[in-house]
Amino acid sequence: MNYVECFRTIARHRTDELVVTSAGNSSQAWWEVTRDSEASFYLDASMSLSTMFASGLALARPEQKVWAFMGDGAFCMNPGTLMVEREMNLPNLTHFLVSNRVYGATSNAGLPNFQNNDYAATARSMGLDHIFEFRNIEEIERNFVALRAANRPGHTFVVLEVEPFSDAEQKLEQPPFDGPELKYRFGRHLERRAGCDIFGYRT
Amino acid sequence: MPVTTHGAGTRIANELASCGVRLVASLPDNWLTDVIDAVNRDDRFIHIPVNREESAIALCSGAYMGALGSAALMGASGLMTVIYAVTKINYTYEIPILLMATLRGAAGDHHKHHVANGLYLLRVLEAINMPYAIIDKPDEISLISRFYRQTRTVSRAMSVLFTRDLLKGTRA
Repeated sequence: MNYVECFRTIARHRTDELVVTSAGNSSQAWWEVTRDSEASFYLDASMSLSTMFASGLALARPEQKVWAFMGDGAFCMNPGTLMVEREMNLPNLTHFLVSNRVYGATSNAGLPNFQNNDYAATARSMGLDHIFEFRNIEEIERNFVALRAANRPGHTFVVLEVEPFSDAEQKLEQPPFDGPELKYRFGRHLERRAGCDIFGYRT
Repeated sequence: MPVTTHGAGTRIANELASCGVRLVASLPDNWLTDVIDAVNRDDRFIHIPVNREESAIALCSGAYMGALGSAALMGASGLMTVIYAVTKINYTYEIPILLMATLRGAAGDHHKHHVANGLYLLRVLEAINMPYAIIDKPDEISLISRFYRQTRTVSRAMSVLFTRDLLKGTRA
């Protein structure tokens, strides 16, 4: 399925979820389809750390639902994050693994063992049992209600099998924010929404 | 015969709790056994053992963005592995984080496999301009909360480094 269309479909189903994106392509695609500058944290070039960042956020704010996108290039760098996520047992976290079988952020460079990697099986081997695999838009549309209803022990793991970015898609705009601006946009939004104090001066 | 610093783990845990740390993400080091045990059995903390030190950086950074106080605990070797994660997340986005690590490779550490940490750890921290404090005695443990609060004031990463004498006792 087309990467950007996949994200467009997921974005249509979004209500109030906080979103954390990963390196390159997922940030570009999410920015392209949402232009969200408040409830999405674009953790660019995080080299496998987006879902751990999202896990900290989900742990801190159990009343919020958190979606985290991670490419399979990032996942290959740090699959053990799934062990930590499983143990943290966060019902408000959904981990989207965007499988394009390449290092998409670096001009679709080759990914180790890309033909054989079975990400859902990897997740199952770590004890996850709420797993979805989507290979086309129709499957997403058909199953998204069940996916979003997953507020039960253990986080949700979703494999999105997508095509690598085309040359034209590689030129999609990156989210145009410097780090501190993004931190404050996201943080102030969450402070208002959740009534929490992220940046307040501490004595 | 070691002269032990009884209760360093508990005192460190108490100091963390006093400044509002709730989440502690850790990886082990033999010197940290008592600290990790103290945090793990203390219900003032959510203790998350993680798979690698970079994960601790991301977990604590995400927790900060959700208004949850946190600190990352690791050995010196682990601290050496997190330079990209810290500079990428905590420096780029100006997300504060307190790192706590062992001062491996310093005088008193007889393990040859920590020679590299002794040679380079402090120089690496200085190279990335990360403020650090070396905590060598129990009465210096209060530096933990001072540094933690300072990370929040300046929106930066800072570290405290525990010596063997603090954690395991001085050699007679």
